[in-house]
Amino acid sequence: MSPVGPGNGPRIPESPLRLAAIAVGGSLGTVARYAIDRSVVPPPLGFPWATFTVNVAGSFVLGMIVTLVVERWPPTRFVRPFAAIGFCGGFTTFSTLAVEATQRVQHGRPGPAVVYVTASLVAGLLAATLGMTLARGRLLPVPRDRPVPDPDDLGSLSAAVPDEAAP
Amino acid sequence: MTVLGVMIAGACGAVLRYLVDHVVQRRAGSAFPVGTMVINLSGSFVLGVLTGSALHHGISVTWLTVVGTGLIGAYTTFSTFTFDSVRLAEADRWGLSLLNVAASIVLGLAAAAAGLALGSSA
Repeated sequence: MSPVGPGNGPRIPESPLRLAAIAVGGSLGTVARYAIDRSVVPPPLGFPWATFTVNVAGSFVLGMIVTLVVERWPPTRFVRPFAAIGFCGGFTTFSTLAVEATQRVQHGRPGPAVVYVTASLVAGLLAATLGMTLARGRLLPVPRDRPVPDPDDLGSLSAAVPDEAAP
Repeated sequence: MTVLGVMIAGACGAVLRYLVDHVVQRRAGSAFPVGTMVINLSGSFVLGVLTGSALHHGISVTWLTVVGTGLIGAYTTFSTFTFDSVRLAEADRWGLSLLNVAASIVLGLAAAAAGLALGSSA
């Protein structure tokens, strides 16, 4: 996500349209998180399902969108600023996770805090991986050692080999 | 009205995150996502201060919702953090990936605790 370019210095060369796409996406993502947060009211110091859900779902969607934009789709100008940096970035939140976990520790509930943080990390990392994998169309690869060729079409078999060999 | 405030604050938080990430990451010039880490740690601290103040000094719920849920919630991000961690692991930079996860969580909780303490006392 973080843009790293050589020799451009810390100036901000972004177009107003790009910043506007981030702002609109961020606004929609934030209000979506707010709506989910309001609709899921847990018992005090119970498991924070709302934050957990938005963080895992947002990790999945961001992984998929960024991979599609970078690896699969033709160049786009506004999909990444709007959907990834704006919407998914605004939808998910790190600070609420940190404060919720800390409050549980401070109220003598370190166990639920550890469960919450660990579950968020594991599910979030898996969700991002799944989104990236789906975007690459590699969820169900043909087993390399057991190709299932159409016996009447050797052409498709030979055409499939280079893709299979890709890392 | 609160919803409108959350939307405006969310837009500001997302743009602020982008600008801070841009500036920090270009200064660092590193493969490590230091920009996102700076954002998440600073946001965790500020949300801690706000939450502590709301609990002990009675700042209004609307204020906490607009600034905390809206601005700081949108400023910090979990999805970029998980994406960057997976991408580092994919590039066989497992050390940096583990460092990103461990440091973000440990320092993020410490920042939130320091913010909560400050907000509760000040």
